[in-house]
Amino acid sequence: MKKKKKKAQIPFRLNILFFVVFLLFSALILRLGVVQIVYGEQYRKEVERTENVTVNTPAPRGKIYDRNHQIIVDNEPLNAITYTRTQTTKPDEMLDVARKLAKYIDKPTDRVTERDLKDYWILTREEKAKAKITKKEWKQFKNKELTDKDIYQRQLRRITDEDLKEITSDELEVVAIFREMNSGYALTPQMIKNEGVTNDEYAIVSEHLEELPGVDVTTDWNRHYAYGNTLRTVLGNITSSEEGLPREKLDYYLSRDYSRNDRVGKSYIEAQYEDVLRGKKAKIKNITDKAGNIIETIEVSKGQRGKDIVLTIDMELQQRVEQIIEEELMAAKRRGGGELLDRAFVVMMNPKTGEILSMAGKQYTKDENGKVQLKDYALGTMTSAYAMGSAVKGATVLTGFQTGVIKPGTVLIDEPLHIKGTPEKKSYKTMGAINDLKALEMSSNVYMFKTAIAIAGTKYRPYQSLPINPEAFSIFRNYFSQFGLGVKTGIDLPGEIIGWPGNSTLPGHLLDLAIGQFDTYTPLQMAQYVSTIANGGYRMKPQIVKEIREPNNDKDELGNIIYSFEPKVLNRVDMKTEYIERVQEGFRRVMQGANGTARAFFANAPYKPAGKTGTAQSFYDGPIKSKRMTPTYNLTLVGYAPYDDPEVAFSVVVPWVQDSNSPINKYIGRKILDAYFELKEKRQAEKVEQPSQTDHEQE
Amino acid sequence: MENEKALQPKIDYHLLFILFLLAIVSAIAIDSAQPSLPAKLQNINFASKQLMWYGIGAVVIALTMLIDYDRLFQIAWYLYGFGMLLLLGLEFNAPGTLTIKGAKSWYAIPGIGNFQPSELMKIFLIIVISRIIVNHREKYVEPTIEDDFKLLGKIALATLPPLVLLAKQPDMGMSMVFTAIVGSLVLVSGIRFRIIFGIILAGVVSVAILVFIFFKFPNFFHEYILEDYQLNRFYGWLAPYEYSNEQGFQLIRSLLAIGSGELYGKGYKNLDVYLPEAHTDFIFGIIAEQFGFIGSSIVISLFFLLIYRMIHIALESHDPFGSYLCAGVIGMITFQVFQNIGMTIGLLPITGLPLPFISYGGSSLATYMLAIGLVLNVRSRTKKFMFSSEE
Repeated sequence: MKKKKKKAQIPFRLNILFFVVFLLFSALILRLGVVQIVYGEQYRKEVERTENVTVNTPAPRGKIYDRNHQIIVDNEPLNAITYTRTQTTKPDEMLDVARKLAKYIDKPTDRVTERDLKDYWILTREEKAKAKITKKEWKQFKNKELTDKDIYQRQLRRITDEDLKEITSDELEVVAIFREMNSGYALTPQMIKNEGVTNDEYAIVSEHLEELPGVDVTTDWNRHYAYGNTLRTVLGNITSSEEGLPREKLDYYLSRDYSRNDRVGKSYIEAQYEDVLRGKKAKIKNITDKAGNIIETIEVSKGQRGKDIVLTIDMELQQRVEQIIEEELMAAKRRGGGELLDRAFVVMMNPKTGEILSMAGKQYTKDENGKVQLKDYALGTMTSAYAMGSAVKGATVLTGFQTGVIKPGTVLIDEPLHIKGTPEKKSYKTMGAINDLKALEMSSNVYMFKTAIAIAGTKYRPYQSLPINPEAFSIFRNYFSQFGLGVKTGIDLPGEIIGWPGNSTLPGHLLDLAIGQFDTYTPLQMAQYVSTIANGGYRMKPQIVKEIREPNNDKDELGNIIYSFEPKVLNRVDMKTEYIERVQEGFRRVMQGANGTARAFFANAPYKPAGKTGTAQSFYDGPIKSKRMTPTYNLTLVGYAPYDDPEVAFSVVVPWVQDSNSPINKYIGRKILDAYFELKEKRQAEKVEQPSQTDHEQE
Repeated sequence: MENEKALQPKIDYHLLFILFLLAIVSAIAIDSAQPSLPAKLQNINFASKQLMWYGIGAVVIALTMLIDYDRLFQIAWYLYGFGMLLLLGLEFNAPGTLTIKGAKSWYAIPGIGNFQPSELMKIFLIIVISRIIVNHREKYVEPTIEDDFKLLGKIALATLPPLVLLAKQPDMGMSMVFTAIVGSLVLVSGIRFRIIFGIILAGVVSVAILVFIFFKFPNFFHEYILEDYQLNRFYGWLAPYEYSNEQGFQLIRSLLAIGSGELYGKGYKNLDVYLPEAHTDFIFGIIAEQFGFIGSSIVISLFFLLIYRMIHIALESHDPFGSYLCAGVIGMITFQVFQNIGMTIGLLPITGLPLPFISYGGSSLATYMLAIGLVLNVRSRTKKFMFSSEE
């Protein structure tokens, strides 16, 4: 009996022990839940902010080469002075460093704001700042009716301009440095100065790093453009370290591991290929001690320069083309092309692959001193649109064939058309009975008009009104779009426009549309259009980037190809091959036929070109506001060569010429084709030489 | 037939399976902690070494199983004496004495490594106190309250000498483990609840007095009660961000690591936060960061299952000595787990105690294996009586 009682005690006590164990373990789980689930996100964010800080030597961006591996955009190292504050760095410590640093370097003060000055004033003139607050307010502050923030706001408000005048110009430099130090997050290096750091400054700061906690000297990178302004607008820009990430895409970049002061591509190729060009920063872990000082840094992954890009552009050709445009533009101005003539564009591409060999644009401007400047406006080839005139007639004829209203060989009478409510419509001369080839060769407007009238399902009766089916507009636009006219060409650059379709459905406007005088197109669309005709009906996606390559530190050699862009057919036009061949023949006659409109300039060219000229009546729409709507002519030319096996297609667009007979479009067209074939020949000659040299070496 | 079966030692496979799972967890955790270790430790593969220690531990268990634990009852005081000798040896700087981080707690044994005698002493203390209780209970079948006090006195007499030596090393963590072992044994020993509550009350009151002295007479407190470095642990624990001393720093890092693991963890080997002592004292942080709340809860549950199994064995045992041994081991493991995990999540101040079975460390693992061996031994000698009076 007694024994039993004693023994029964142990299981009971063991159960109590187990209950205590249970309580303790529950406490663990509960607390773990609080730490990991309730506050987990908070801890994660703190880790993200402090643990993985990217190293302060930014990895250089990738370089950009042309198709012949000539470097276009390079990096040049730049001395830079950075400052990194820790979580526990106090403002007066930073100020101390700023003062010392101000002694060693020159810092421009133009970015200093009034707020910066006020902050600085409060920080450095404690007593005076205190005096800005009344006794009553201090009392309120003590009673917690006012917060620190309220006090500070009041101080800011009550600082007068007089007060700020106390800040000497020497101090201003300290303010400028201090504000840079203060921006950004703790443990993220801030650029204090990366432009114009002299070697002396660099050296003296390097020597005094000991007394400048947080300050470091490193290398930043600047883009260097080997060809100066050539193609400059298309290459695009990157942000400065002050600009950092573009505000509108902040979240996009931050979620991709960028820091706020990273320099990123902000326009065109630099922006479009940011993912590729961007350097991989070395990732380091900063291990901080109890005071928040960095005691150890562990390199988690090595940094790497961004990948290189090889463009389809031929820079040598591009230079020649730009030079040709400049010369012709200036010559036309001298000839009296008019004050409104201020720009010209050329796009050259390989019609079989869509590779853009050259995209050039020049804009004639005057600076404040009245000095003439020809600015790069290569971008205009895809961001500005003009009425292109007869150059689009190839598409009109094909639309006629496809809709069945004309057939290869259909003869129509070229005569002035009189339509009620519309000015007289005619070709530049009355041509009489002509077939489709002749119509293209001589650029008959009336042939196109009659085709359009037939497509609109109506008949021309002199001096009568012309009732048309408004659907004809969409029939035209549908077929035109198959050549790339009025739609995106699909070029791998941002900001491309599609031109401006007119929104009226008047009969006269349909006729204008048929001769390229209604809707507007970009020079790039014109190049795509003529390429589509040249290659037998395949609309090629224009490509400006040919390859992406592994970064290679060897200066003379390119890294391995990571990705190579294949030619991409966007669509095959609906028209039968024989129709397209018919138009090709028409285009050949434009340049080589007895009556060709461009015969005078191209008939003797050895590379057998084909093409189509265009002259559009247009209204000036340029920068001189008072002259807007002045009647002018847009002179255009599209073409390709050789006509039987085209390897280059091009478009030339010269808007707002005052003289419709100006030969500028044809001059430019001839010269750029000459340049292309000269370069080709030259390179072939070099190629032949080179192998023989190696043969010698082998012997 | 029945007899033959009864003679064969029964092995508790449940317990062994839990142990097996803990070994796997340990190897994975240590392996993933490897990259966070200082460079000088990088050429040692701790995960495989830990598995080797598990192998040695298995041998230790097997050896423990060989002798009936009743033998331990007989040699309890010799073991105790041996353990005291080792501790005294440290006190008097016997050859091989090693001081790590200011604590004189180790012997350096050439060829094997560092050995901490207090680990062994834990087991010996469990055996001795169990014996004291059993003897006392047999002598006083119907104990009066005086008898209970007598028992307490005896336990205290056996506990104090090693405790004093530990405090002098100094090794606060280990002293606390000893206290926890004794506490759980006192609870199970059957001493009246009145007395136990009295002890708890006394503890609470004395802590209250200490706090009072701390705030009222800080100088006196600093001079006579706690050294500054000990006080700092409390500061670091209670306000890690304000008192960013060594402990505060470790706690902040550990909270960052564990907290940022969130519910699901960051995945195997995805560690962002640098943890000090990642493979030993802060191994739990490594687990919690990688495998999140779910993973770490599973680890805690494994420990809970382990304890549950031991309670089960203690309950099944017909021999009070066996039950006491189990209770002591339970107290030891529970406290160490609670203390180690508790310190990483800010529940308790930081002390240098490893997480049983998981943290890397040969001598501590061997001790736990020894303890498991004891429990298995108790289990294997528990016979199912056909005509049990209790059941």
